[in-house]
Parts: sequence; structure tokens; C-alpha cells
Amino acid sequence: MVGIARLLPKNYLFTILGIAVGVSGLVALGAMAERITRFIDGGDRFVLGQISVAGEGMGMGTGFTAGGLLRASKIEQIAQVPGVAAVQAQVMLPLNPTTSQFLTLTQELILGVDPAVPMSNRQFRELPVKSGRFLRTNDRGVVVVGADFAAGRKLGVGRRIELAAGRTFEVVGVLDKTLTAPDRFAIVPLDDARDLWLRRDPLLVQVFAGGAGGMARRDLNTGAAVAWADGVDADDLARRIQAGVPGVNVTIPGELSRLLRQSTAFFSALLFGIGVLGLVIGGLSLSNTVTAAVFERIRDFGIKRALGATDLQLLREILGEALGVSISGGALGVGLALAIGTLVDARVLRDGQQLFLFSPRLLVFAIAFSVILGGLAATYATLRIVRLSPAEAIRRGT
Amino acid sequence: MLVRAIGLGKTFRGPDGGPIPVLDGVDVEVKPGEFVAVAGPSGSGKSTLLNLLGLLEAADRGEIWLDDVCVSRLSRRAQCPVRGRSIGYVFQSFLLIAGLTALENVLLAARYVGRSRSDAQPAALALMERLGVAHRSGHYPSQLSGGEQQRVAYCRAVLNGPALVLADEPTGNLDESHAAVILSELRGLCRERGASVILVTHRADAAALADRTLRLRAGRLESGGGEGTT
Repeated sequence: MVGIARLLPKNYLFTILGIAVGVSGLVALGAMAERITRFIDGGDRFVLGQISVAGEGMGMGTGFTAGGLLRASKIEQIAQVPGVAAVQAQVMLPLNPTTSQFLTLTQELILGVDPAVPMSNRQFRELPVKSGRFLRTNDRGVVVVGADFAAGRKLGVGRRIELAAGRTFEVVGVLDKTLTAPDRFAIVPLDDARDLWLRRDPLLVQVFAGGAGGMARRDLNTGAAVAWADGVDADDLARRIQAGVPGVNVTIPGELSRLLRQSTAFFSALLFGIGVLGLVIGGLSLSNTVTAAVFERIRDFGIKRALGATDLQLLREILGEALGVSISGGALGVGLALAIGTLVDARVLRDGQQLFLFSPRLLVFAIAFSVILGGLAATYATLRIVRLSPAEAIRRGT
Repeated sequence: MLVRAIGLGKTFRGPDGGPIPVLDGVDVEVKPGEFVAVAGPSGSGKSTLLNLLGLLEAADRGEIWLDDVCVSRLSRRAQCPVRGRSIGYVFQSFLLIAGLTALENVLLAARYVGRSRSDAQPAALALMERLGVAHRSGHYPSQLSGGEQQRVAYCRAVLNGPALVLADEPTGNLDESHAAVILSELRGLCRERGASVILVTHRADAAALADRTLRLRAGRLESGGGEGTT
């Protein structure tokens, strides 16, 4: 930076600041778009990574396993379908049944899994643990929480949380940020999740206590995640399960992905709008600033041409300066956006949110964008200036 | 260097798009080592004549010859080295670049003719020393007085040893003592180095130093204007 600064005329300070403001706007908008994209892509990857199966009917389950009870016998039947590699029974419940359903994209969920069975999702073989550990076989009364879930409640390993009235769990692990659904999960052992379900649903307790249909505790599943063997087409397998195992709701991964994309089409359009807006605002600000900076020095270029500078020499000189200014402004803008984003995220993190995602590709793009656009703007301005005679350039700049 | 201008004409466009003739059929010849003053009322075309001779502006009509080369017919690109090597300019308003130090301003003349900094810097410092501004070499133009700025501008104009020096009211913004330094230097260029100097001036004492004075009026040379006056 010192070397670049040495090359730049002193009066470029405000140009660099002007570029920095434009680039910081571009980066901030881009970081918000990246954040939403990561969230939507994460959901897409999740649904494409497993076949989700629920019991027939409505039930009270939620998330990907919404539907009726999925009894153990059905799970065993699913496991027998050729091409199925593993079936993981699950209980998925809204943390807060009164509000969670209204915000399906960001709802907090309790997920009950059997740690003895490997995760069935091909995209999430293991959930990344930031501190503590994941669930182990025979664990009871413990919970692993997602990053946002933990941040919103200031939870850490060793703390306790009440997931149902009178039922507290010890936090044994906090997941690393995935920027998608698991960030808002509380993952508990399957049997604990069944207990929570029974506590919340008096009707289910009555049905269960009445021994209706010969139900056992192991039949209390809101769904199952099905993994397929290598080389098996997931959508075909899902259709075979639907056809071969009566009384279940099977989501076809490809179709679910398509539905998810459709349901998030608004966000995609929003992202596109944000991206275009960022490029237009940042681009106009940057190119206008560089062009104005070059035109401001029209007298200097007239003098240099009077001293014998060729068009090419001037262009090379101006491009060199524009490069230095654009890189400096771009880097400063990125730094500014990072600082603002970090400050804002530190504030909203208390509510378990993250607004910005400063991905490396975004930062590289921002710098490249400022350099290329700065170069183009400088070239345009130079070509306009060199068309003038040296005397005219000096006159206009005086 | 023998400088010849034949039938030079220049017309500008006014704000309403109408033509404003500034020079019309001007013939000038300046011999090597000759010091020529150009005088005339404001708006008579003195500065335009200097700009055309210095290839800072293209003439609408006529030709400019430096020795046996018709430089007015050269391409834009080919005119650049002629400006850089053969012609030096001293302007009334100095025209130093604000973001460069005094020494960097002087060295700018060397940059565009391919002279290395190591070759040009000693010569630049020696020139500045002679003009009494070497101690200000690290200062920016805004930190210099008018007289110092003009002496720096003069150093820049003559650093490459041009055969033709064009000076447009170089003493217009200077007091008597500083003006005398610049005029003395210009006179010395002709006598000691054989350079041709064309000086636009309103000052009678400056014109008196010249070998002869050309008088312009309404874009034309007054009859007999080419005659020597001193």
C-alpha cells in the first residue's frame, strides 16, 4: 500500500474515498445476497441429500418430516426396498408450536435422532461441531444446538436449556455455522424427542395410552431420512418406496428441490434485484469517481502532452494511477463493508441472526470489479482527453 | 533551428457556433539563435500563433516548418517527440503540476523523451541551482512564490536543450527582478546555445531585448512587422 500510495498524486485521496463508498455498498449488498443464497442453497442441498419419508396423514410433525406417525414396521419395510442403504427414524418438532409454523424458513426445530444410526443425508454426513461434541449412543437428557440457536440464547457447552415445561437438557455441543436450517436446530436423542412430543400433544398421549393399534414407543416417529446406495437414482428409489410401502408420504428429492426453488423464487428475484442494484450503484459510483478524477486533471494531461507525452504514454500513466486508485479504493471499500457488516452482525447475533456473508468469491469479485471498471472508466476519460489538442486541454483545465 | 510559418490561419467557434477568425495568413521566419518578440493588443492572436508554432494546436491553414521538416503535416504521434525534444514552452501561468515537487516537474520534460532519471536529474539540479531554486527542489508548487514557480517552469522548458523556446508572457505575473532573471535567461539561450526564442510580451523592456519585434493586429502581421527593431 505504501508503494501504491507513493505512485498516486496527493489529490487522489477523495477519489479513493469515493470509490471506497461505492465498493462498500456493493460488497454489503452482495454479502446480504450471499447470505440468503447460502441459506436457500443449504436447504436445497439438504433435500437433495436424502429421501424424507413421513407417515400418511397430517400429524403434528414439522419440517421435512411433516405428516402422520411413521411406525417402526414401516421403517423396517422401507429398509427392505432395494437400493436403500440406511433409514434413520426421526422426530422433528417445532420448538414453539404457536409461532414456528408462521416462519417456515427460519423456524427453530427440535430434531430427535438415534446417534447409533449414521446420518442418512449425503450432504450432511456429519454436522460440524464447533465446541463440545455431537450426540453419542445411550445419551439422554443432552442436546446439541445449532449456532444461531446457541447465539440467540447465549448457550455454551455445560449450560442447560428447557425444551419443554419442566424438562431441561444439558448442552453438550454447539454446531459450527452452516448458514442454513441446522443453525436453528436443537438436536436431542430420539427417545428424548419422543418424550417431548408426548408432553406437548395430549391427544397423542391418550391414543398411546389407550394402546390403539398396538402402538409401541418405537412407533413414535414423525418421519425418517432414507439414504440410498451408491449409484442408485434417488428420485427413482423414492418412487419405488412410495409404490412398495403403503401408508407413507415420500418426498421425491428432485421434486422437493423444485418446489423449494419455486417457494423461494421471491428470494431469488430479490437477490437478483439486490445484485443488480449493487452493481449499478457501486459501478456508477466507481466509474463516475474515476472519470471525474481523470477529467479534473485535464490541465495536467495537457501540460504533459505539451512536454511530448504520446497518447499511449498518457494512457499507460493514467491506467497505472487508476489501477492504484481502484485497488486502494476497492480494498478500503471491502474493509469498510467488513467493518460495518461485522458490527451489524455482532448486534443481530444476539437475536440468533446473521445478515452478511462475506465470501471470498464476493471479496475477489469486488476488487476485480473495481479494478476493471476503474480501468475502463480511466480509459474512456483518457480517450476523451487525448482527442483534445494540448492547448485545448490546458484551456479547459485552467 | 530555422522556424518558418507560411500562411498560418486559425478560426475558433464562438458560443453561438459562429466562426471567430484569430489568425489569418501569417508568415513568420525565425533564424537559429534569433530572439523574436511578438507584440500586439489583447485578442490579436499572439498566444494562438505561439500555440500553432509549438504544435499545441493544429492550424486550419498554412504550414509550419522546423528546418526542413514540415511538422504541421506530421501525424499526432509523430508530433509528440518534436514537442518533447525540439520545443520548450514557458507559460505566463507557469503550468506546473500541483501534485509533483519542483524537481519532479522539471524532470517531467525528460520522462517523455526517453531520458533516464539518472541522466536527467543532475542536469535538472544544475539548472535549478543556476536559477536559484535548487533549495526548493522538494517543494510543491503551492509552496513556491510566483518567481520561483516561473524559474522552475523555465528549467523544465529548457531541460532537454530545445532548439526552439516559446515563451508566452513569461514575465506577466512576476515582479521586476524576477522578470529580469527570466528575460536574461532567454536572451542567453540565443547567444550561448543558438536556440531560437519567440517571446510574446506586452512589456516594452522585454521587447527591447529582442532582435526584432513582430506586431500582430486582428490576426494579421502589421506591415513591416518582420523588421528588426533593435
